[in-house]
Amino acid sequence: MEKKTPDSQVIVVTSGKGGVGKTTTVANLATGLAKLGYSVVVMDLDIGLKKLDLILGLENRVIYDIIQVVEGECSLKQALVKDKRFPALYMLPAAQTRNKDDITTTQVEAICEELKPDFDFIFIDCPAGIEQGFRNAIAAANKAIVVTNPEVSAVRDADRIIGMLESADFKDIKLLVNRLRPEMVRSGDMLSIEDLMEHLCIELLGVVPEDRSVVISTNRGEPIILNEHSSAAHAFNNIVQRLLGNNVDLMTLEEDSFWRKLKRNLGFKN
Amino acid sequence: MFEFLKKVFANEDNSSRNKANDRLRLVLTHDRIGASSQLMETLQEEIIALIASHVEIEGTPEVHFITEGRRTALDISIPLKGR
Ligand SMILES: Nc1ncnc2c1ncn2[C@@H]1O[C@H](COP(=O)(O)OP(=O)(O)OP(=O)(O)O)[C@@H](O)[C@H]1O
Ligand SMILES: [Mg+2]
Repeated sequence: MEKKTPDSQVIVVTSGKGGVGKTTTVANLATGLAKLGYSVVVMDLDIGLKKLDLILGLENRVIYDIIQVVEGECSLKQALVKDKRFPALYMLPAAQTRNKDDITTTQVEAICEELKPDFDFIFIDCPAGIEQGFRNAIAAANKAIVVTNPEVSAVRDADRIIGMLESADFKDIKLLVNRLRPEMVRSGDMLSIEDLMEHLCIELLGVVPEDRSVVISTNRGEPIILNEHSSAAHAFNNIVQRLLGNNVDLMTLEEDSFWRKLKRNLGFKN
Repeated sequence: MFEFLKKVFANEDNSSRNKANDRLRLVLTHDRIGASSQLMETLQEEIIALIASHVEIEGTPEVHFITEGRRTALDISIPLKGR
């Protein structure tokens, strides 16, 4: 595989709270970048509770895992799973029957160093929580994407995580808001992007709307970014562009616009 | 008609979104400095007692947390009695 950029971006995707969309984010951003020809590897550090292989649809191709790599049972190259759809996309699987303490920060750093010469992007899928799994996941990264949902408990955890990343001297921390429902924001029943920015005070990387097709794509093992008609795919594509340093305006999440609402209230059908 | 206008321009003040913002403001301030809301009262009492042991206080002292970005500061305002 050919690397396109001299440096490698090592990006940890983290959140504190579970289930907010870290793995979905990793799978989609990695796929989006690989589609553009960048060489990308995703590292699943959710050891014991792996999901990335399922979301990427690579579960049947896994032979070795990251713990076997650090224990010397196989080489790093042998453990990397290649995505059949994109020759530039690889996954380093987590071990399902081990736990987060079976690998150290030093070992994660060593693996990343070994991957850097071959990859433009290294994504690290961080487990929920703030324990060893989190420390391992941030150890080798130089950038962090904090995923949150517009919901009080997720924002509180995101704030804690941002504080911990700052203490660990992270300079590049960006926020990804997932599962936004614009119509709920408008009716005053969901925190808005402005609200989240006011609370968390970090740079916004992107906003992914709530989208039913994410569930469908997860069922199929095909990242949503490959489904051009979905709004979540549009959002992930924009984020891919921003990671490449291109300025893309925030998408207008206006499916339920003022005028539509007005018409509906006046008794018109959409 | 009025009902519907009210619906369109959703009443901000008692919306669940506003409630969420208020709760977050408070809880994040406390989380960040690693203290409970109880601490505010204790701080206020102790600071005032300390100042009062040296100079005479006039009026109502105020102690607040203020946030600037992700940083928190203590904002203390204690009016002193002139001679
Ligand atoms: N934008 C979205 N719209 C609808 N559903 C979504 C969206 N993003 C994620 N989901 C769903 O939310 C669930 C959790 O997502 P995901 O596994 O990516 O979260 P996670 O943060 O990695 O969770 P964990 O902490 O358990 O690792 C999945 O079932 C996924 O399909
Ligand atoms: Mg996950």
